Amino acid sequence: MMNSPSNPTPKARRPIDRWRWTGRLFLVLMLLYTAVPMIWMLLTSIKSGFAALQFPPQWWPDEPTLASYQKLLDPTNSVGRDFLRFFWNSLFVSTVTTILAVIVAVPAAYAFSRFDFPGRKFLFFAVLLRNMFPAVIFLVPLFILMRLLGLVNTHGSLILTYLTFGLPLAIWLLKGFYDNIPIQLEQAARIDGATRFQAFILVVMPLSVPGIIATAIYSFIGAWNEYIFAYTFINRNDQLTLPVGIQRFFSENTTDFPGLMAASFMMSLPVVVLFLLLQRYFVKALTEGAVKH
Amino acid sequence: MAHVVLTDLVKTYGTFKAVNNVSLRVEDGEFVALVGPSGCGKTTTLNLVAGLVPLTSGDITIGDRIVNDIDPKDRDIAMVFQNYALYPQKSVYKNLAFPLQMRKLPRDEIDLKVKEAARVLDMTHLLERKPRELSGGQQQRVALGRALVRDPAVFLMDEPLSNLDAKLRVQMRSEIKRFHQDLKATIIYVTHDQLEAVTMADKMAVMNGGFLQQYDSPATVFANPVNMFVASFIGSPAMSLVPLEVSTNNGDTALSGTEGWSMALSPLNARKVQNSTSKKVVLGARHSTIKLHKHVIAGGIPAKVYTVEPTGDVTFVQALLSGATVNISVPPTVSVAPDETVWLEFDQQRIHLFDGETEMALSAA
Repeated sequence: MMNSPSNPTPKARRPIDRWRWTGRLFLVLMLLYTAVPMIWMLLTSIKSGFAALQFPPQWWPDEPTLASYQKLLDPTNSVGRDFLRFFWNSLFVSTVTTILAVIVAVPAAYAFSRFDFPGRKFLFFAVLLRNMFPAVIFLVPLFILMRLLGLVNTHGSLILTYLTFGLPLAIWLLKGFYDNIPIQLEQAARIDGATRFQAFILVVMPLSVPGIIATAIYSFIGAWNEYIFAYTFINRNDQLTLPVGIQRFFSENTTDFPGLMAASFMMSLPVVVLFLLLQRYFVKALTEGAVKH
Repeated sequence: MAHVVLTDLVKTYGTFKAVNNVSLRVEDGEFVALVGPSGCGKTTTLNLVAGLVPLTSGDITIGDRIVNDIDPKDRDIAMVFQNYALYPQKSVYKNLAFPLQMRKLPRDEIDLKVKEAARVLDMTHLLERKPRELSGGQQQRVALGRALVRDPAVFLMDEPLSNLDAKLRVQMRSEIKRFHQDLKATIIYVTHDQLEAVTMADKMAVMNGGFLQQYDSPATVFANPVNMFVASFIGSPAMSLVPLEVSTNNGDTALSGTEGWSMALSPLNARKVQNSTSKKVVLGARHSTIKLHKHVIAGGIPAKVYTVEPTGDVTFVQALLSGATVNISVPPTVSVAPDETVWLEFDQQRIHLFDGETEMALSAA
């Protein structure tokens, strides 16, 4: 009876515990790995320029100050004016990209999920094909294309590029979502008196809201953080987006580390806030939509 | 309520013919079951009537109107789906109200009709719940309610009971039958379960391979199946079908089995057999029409018992005859053992004879 499965001996239990603790240790290390740079960014942003360069470094500043934030948010000086403009540019490019991505991805995913048209499989493969190559190899061809179209130094070049990279996953994610919505719901709606379009708007759309939100977050974050294409396509100061703008403007003369960190912190804010507000939809979409039951 | 007429209905997918020249007429207030094995075209036929899939050729008439190119919403139909298709984000009340809202009825009239339907189906206390908070039986009732509030010309039902457990299915079966009797509703009901079709329908349309096999009352289909498919599909346990050869015994037409025995035929059955296109004839008999004898009798055909299945009320005996299995029901008091030899007596009035080549029922004419 000592070794019956319902009454395990301490000896039999020990290896399981050891793995559990190894797992926890791994998670703690991962947490430190991701959180420490964030904390360091935050702490440096409230230091004075002198304190930021001290060695050995000060963890908690002797005289914490919000001076860097004040400077960045003050449109009357040139630093603040530039920062606010970059922030606005990023917000504009990311928001337009997100709206267009949703507008295109929703009907595209729905069509791939519901309609049987000639070339459906090929087209879906073609959409996913983009994601099989690293983005950088498109850098030069896209630059040449943008120059031909006269889009260099415009936000249009960035919006088009981000859509190219964001749409395949968005369409794939949403298609998985629509695949899981029984077609009988639409059929029932159409018999109950709805047109095909009304059935989509009134019955299918509300059910795919988590998928649409996940698609939107994904597109927004992708556009918001993108650096290499923005760096290549834009070189007019008033058109720069935040990732490139921050870098350029702080390395011109001397590096103002607290200012750089304050700008970085403010840049990460919209993404963090967005993610915290909508994360349950995001998780739901990734587990329910894309993964087949 | 209205009648429904299907004329030469055809639906093809590429080269595959899902529905093949199906024609039938459903009278006003009639309950018609479309029945057949999976893939027989019954659900496609229903979807054609609903307008959910486009027609390849033929005509569908609901009431006095040809509806071939009319949108589902304008066909004045209601449908109950196998998975109920309740709108998951809406409460029961809103599910029931949806078809009325889409028809732009005034709000107080909608409220009245929804509450009336809820009262009839005994689910007033469930109106504020979401579908996921209901049991399978309750969901099925909401689906029925959503069809009912509209007062449509025709009700279409696609295997509405097949997701329920056995006990609930029997209960809902009588509720739907009662619902039909009270409303005098025209109902087209798709099922793969021949028992549902036999117990509920006024008429049943047996389908196989996209073709309509037989369309008649359950009693007629049961008594006079037109071919071997219908004979074996309707009735449980299935009708036994034994392939035999036509032979002559002292100048009289008879049937003989591979074991060497021969069975004399009544004059009517002899005339039927003479109409066969070949020497091959299939004998069909239902379990209750065959008598089992434990000792040799005149005209009895010897067979070897394969299995014995006591069910309580009756015992089913399976015996091997001419390479086929024959089902016989006997009272539970009769004791038979596997491998025992028994003698079977067929009732000449109640046997069925089929052409071994065409599989069609043989007639005396």
